[in-house]
Amino acid sequence: MPKSQHLDPKILRAKSKITFTDIPVNQYDKTIEEEKGNFSNKDFMRIFRDMAIIREFETMLNSIKTTNEYNGVEYNHPGPAHLSIGQEASSVGQAYLLDKDDFIFGSHRSHGEILAKGLSAIEKLTDKELMEVMEEYFDGQILRIVEKMGKHDTVKELAMDFLLYGILAENFARKTGFQRGLGGSMHLFFLPFGSYPNNAIVGGSADISVGAALFKKVNSKKGIVIANIGDASLACGPVWEGIAFATMDQFKKLWEGDKQGGLKLIINFFNNQYGMGGQTNGETMGYKMLARFGAGVNPEQMHSERVDGYNPLAVIDAIKRKKKILDENNGPVLLDTLTYRVSGHSPSDASSYRTKEEVEAWQDNDSLIEYRLNLIKAGVAVSDDFDTMLASVKERMTKIMKMAIDYDISPRMDLVKEPDSISKYMFSNTKVEKMEDRPVDVLQPLKENEQVIRNSRKVRTATLNGKPVPKLKQFQYRDAIFEAIINRFYEDPTLIAYGEENRDWGGAFAVYRGLTEALPYHRLFNSPIAEAAIVGSAVGYAMSGGRVLVELMYCDFLGRAGDEVFNQMAKWQAMSAGKLKMPVVLRVSVGSKYGAQHSQDWTALAAHIPGLKCVFPATPYDAKGLMNTALTGTDPVIFFESQRLYDTPELFNEAGVPEEYYEIEIGEPDIKRVGSDVTILTIGATLYRAIEAAKELEEKHGLSSEIIDARTIVPFNYEKVLESVKKTGRIVIVGDACERGSHMKDMAQNISEMAFDDLDAPPVVVGAKNWITPAYELENSFFPQPSWIIDAIHEKILPLEGYVSTSNYTEREQLRLNKLGV
Amino acid sequence: MAIPVIMPRQGQSVESCIVTKWHKEVGEKVVVGDVLFSYETDKASFEEEATVEGTMLVKFYEEWDDVPCLINVCVIGNEGESTSEFDQRDADEVVEEDTASKDTNKEVTTEEVIISSGSDKVSPRAKNLASKLNIDISKAQATGPNGRVIERDILKLKELGIYATSAALSSGEKLQTSGTGIGGRMAVDDIGAVTTQVTGVELPSELGYRDEKIPNIRKMISKAMSNSLQTTSQVTLTASFDATEIVALRKKLKASDIEVNVTLNDMIIFAVSRVLKNHAALNAHFLGDTMRYFDHVHMGIAVDTERGLLVPTVFNADIRSLVSVAAAVKEVAIQAKEGIINPDLLSGASFTITNLGTFGIESFTPVLNPPQTGILGVNTITQRVKEIDGELVTYPSMGLSLTFDHGALDGAPAARFLQELNKALENFTILLMQ
Repeated sequence: MPKSQHLDPKILRAKSKITFTDIPVNQYDKTIEEEKGNFSNKDFMRIFRDMAIIREFETMLNSIKTTNEYNGVEYNHPGPAHLSIGQEASSVGQAYLLDKDDFIFGSHRSHGEILAKGLSAIEKLTDKELMEVMEEYFDGQILRIVEKMGKHDTVKELAMDFLLYGILAENFARKTGFQRGLGGSMHLFFLPFGSYPNNAIVGGSADISVGAALFKKVNSKKGIVIANIGDASLACGPVWEGIAFATMDQFKKLWEGDKQGGLKLIINFFNNQYGMGGQTNGETMGYKMLARFGAGVNPEQMHSERVDGYNPLAVIDAIKRKKKILDENNGPVLLDTLTYRVSGHSPSDASSYRTKEEVEAWQDNDSLIEYRLNLIKAGVAVSDDFDTMLASVKERMTKIMKMAIDYDISPRMDLVKEPDSISKYMFSNTKVEKMEDRPVDVLQPLKENEQVIRNSRKVRTATLNGKPVPKLKQFQYRDAIFEAIINRFYEDPTLIAYGEENRDWGGAFAVYRGLTEALPYHRLFNSPIAEAAIVGSAVGYAMSGGRVLVELMYCDFLGRAGDEVFNQMAKWQAMSAGKLKMPVVLRVSVGSKYGAQHSQDWTALAAHIPGLKCVFPATPYDAKGLMNTALTGTDPVIFFESQRLYDTPELFNEAGVPEEYYEIEIGEPDIKRVGSDVTILTIGATLYRAIEAAKELEEKHGLSSEIIDARTIVPFNYEKVLESVKKTGRIVIVGDACERGSHMKDMAQNISEMAFDDLDAPPVVVGAKNWITPAYELENSFFPQPSWIIDAIHEKILPLEGYVSTSNYTEREQLRLNKLGV
Repeated sequence: MAIPVIMPRQGQSVESCIVTKWHKEVGEKVVVGDVLFSYETDKASFEEEATVEGTMLVKFYEEWDDVPCLINVCVIGNEGESTSEFDQRDADEVVEEDTASKDTNKEVTTEEVIISSGSDKVSPRAKNLASKLNIDISKAQATGPNGRVIERDILKLKELGIYATSAALSSGEKLQTSGTGIGGRMAVDDIGAVTTQVTGVELPSELGYRDEKIPNIRKMISKAMSNSLQTTSQVTLTASFDATEIVALRKKLKASDIEVNVTLNDMIIFAVSRVLKNHAALNAHFLGDTMRYFDHVHMGIAVDTERGLLVPTVFNADIRSLVSVAAAVKEVAIQAKEGIINPDLLSGASFTITNLGTFGIESFTPVLNPPQTGILGVNTITQRVKEIDGELVTYPSMGLSLTFDHGALDGAPAARFLQELNKALENFTILLMQ
């Protein structure tokens, strides 16, 4: 809501109409003869060669999947194989002009795309550069294997074998694959050639590629980004969200200087007509032609166009024209690359949804035949030349396959001998102060920032000279988070932050108050209300090498970004065998007061997913320290904050919140109150209710409580907790999450197992009810109260003399509630 | 070379033994065959002889220590040799003794009476603490949820001093009650979990007593007895029979050439082993959801020994002759008394006979030996009168007390057994001929 843009009712209410311009469909009609000025004979033949390599690669996999053999070599491959036979011209045409600085992102059906992209990059890189790439990748481990295949005439020939071997070994889950076998067919890529992750989630690459394009723009990097997704993915919400995000007006209207202008991004649909067995044109979608979709997105209609993907030269022509649009900062572009998947969805697909005639009709149009005939007709080569080339491709493929299936040359990970082979990739656990070393783009010196000045006048402790500090003078939780964030903005030039209401408003909870004045648009901006795209683009931004801080205004919106948080942000570090880093901090505000869809603590959802670090500080001191750590790490961190706490001063650290920089290790709980009779382990804001309970337990029942604030959920060091339980023998775990399936239950189970012999009673969980969160006025019956903690102790751990419970913590009630599922 | 001596395992079910006496002191010379120490299981006593020559270098346990089987008890070797590597006691065990002795010395002036709630639920922490402090968990009053003994219940015993409890138990003070349920309502758990404050009870300055460690065997008997009474529904029937015939027969046997001394008790054992065959429910084990009926009668014989009550078994008594029964009973009784009985002979009985008649006992209630369903107590002979042809004549009357598990069988079938047994004993000669 920038004030600079006036929304004039006179204009907005005026009578008018929307007009569209024509969307080109298969307009390319040049002959080989006409293209001879643009391509040498060698170029023409190289295009054919690349198509032939892809065809043979996919044919090999199809043969292995359906007959357990290829060209006389036996192998059983149980893994997936989503093949793209029929689509070769489209991927080779797309990659032809791209170099290593242009990124492509793929789908589950992208072997062809990464082969084409790799072959194109090999063509453009110098021998020296190629050797460096191969020597550096896993310290030359794959290169050494490929070198054993015999002498290569040229470095490019060597690099081609390197590419084919790396991809095939990865398909076969070998340690010598490009992702050490941790990615596999659907998650393949090779960064040095500009090939970014394929994605097994339909449309998964759409919003991630938006983030990559964002990275290029914000950090002034060379190259364009292409999201290769299928026609069926156009129905996926995150794809729409990614497109909405990518076409935000602000890029052209509000961003300034060299950052102004559209994203250099092509959302390319390899329109092969089917989404599994659903026919997109005529059955499962209504667009008739996919390219139509661009018309409604923005006035530029996303420069949408349908191009004939069965003609490689048509695709090259399209990419050439679209690249120009991007270079002129007029992107992004939507491309409908028409193609046809002759192979089934997978080798087990019986193609019951289409006729044999249809498949045969497309085979009659086979680009490898048509293009070859055209080249012969134009005198580029004779038929024998093609046959020789095809035979050599088959020979190469057989050689590669033999290497890739040989267990001595291409072993799998040995999880018995090296049990941490996978676990070591779950987190990168590195500390990087700045992702790039260059000056930061800021609008003012840090000291001149109004909020920084305001904060400097605040009192950093809760009391001063024995008196409580007045609210407005307190340095509070939100100030602590702000302080850590603005500090990192002035250190790491790649750091950007966005989400809903981040700029101008300063965030729904005023954490970013003052940031707008300090940062240019391209480092702090408002996103559309598109949680999937917010997180998905952050994943792409981080994958490309930047650090990013995004937020979900309410924890309840986590579901809206489910795939992006659970499958993308969490998984890519491990699926890339450590080749990708994921320095994303996702701030998630846990609400209260606003009912069933705005007041849920979903920490357990995030904690359940391997690969995410989850923190939940409850005090200003911890919030600043943990945010500092999160923002210098390279792992994805879900940073839970409680809306109950934004205006809380520091009550525990006697020295208050230090002005200087400090970090708190992620994973270490903190003892907030020392006691001897019962341990209360709290998650998030329940710390303060536990403190109240502890007071009553002390005063009325003579029980001394030790309170441990978990601070972090994943990872979590139990040592302090176990030490405490050893002393007290009793533990209650408290949090605002609905008790069933909560992370508190997980903690209780771990404590039961590890402290069993020290326990005087089972660990007891005091969480919220398994209901909807009711209105604010009824919340005391829903969220854990101090009295509930005491009730639970009385009923389940240590009956207190003369105590009368107010809530029902008996086992009978527990049985009843579980029976009812409430 | 130093050689450790382990605590042998006597029988499959034996986990530990008590060292009852050391026969060699540290530093004393030992030759092969010397008795090193005496020890006992819950059922029998043994002596451990040296199998090597040398000097007693170290003893890891004191008399009356409970030693796990197969653990090193002492080391024999040449003087000056190291023995610490043979010490298998864990550190806790060594510390425990100190703690325990300190606690038992504690003086108690004001005491809170604990009524044991006999709970079998114990928190792991409470269990560990009790074992560390040498406190008997069964004495604890469970104050935890669901009648669970928790740490504070053990600490309470510690505070009171372990031995103060039983005395306090008998003080007969009124019990104070208070509900712990929601809203102060009386909960089920409140019943039977009551504490009483007894203040100002004057104690004589000198009570005059001595504490002796209770031997394993006593502990076992105590456990078995209370277990029996807690887990079965015992009913005792008493009847008597005319012993004229068996008394006369015994006289004849005594005067005969038969070497074995056949006692009245043997005759009763013989008769019972025959009559039981017609009363399967009493020659059985009651196993909760199943009854195990035995093909033969395996007679448990209660034997009074110096160490306490032992019940060796005479297997297949129903197919032995009277003389064979008498000989077998004698043999196992002697072995039991001497403490050399094979522990495996101390179980497996299908019915038990106990005899207090020799002490002049006229009637008593024998305690069942679960899962057996019956035990017969044999009483003394008294002179009774009966009317024969209008005249009062005296006759020797012998009492029999049958305790049976009413859970396993009803009163009438039990009475029928007793009736048939009495008849068989009164007509013992006929029984012998069968």
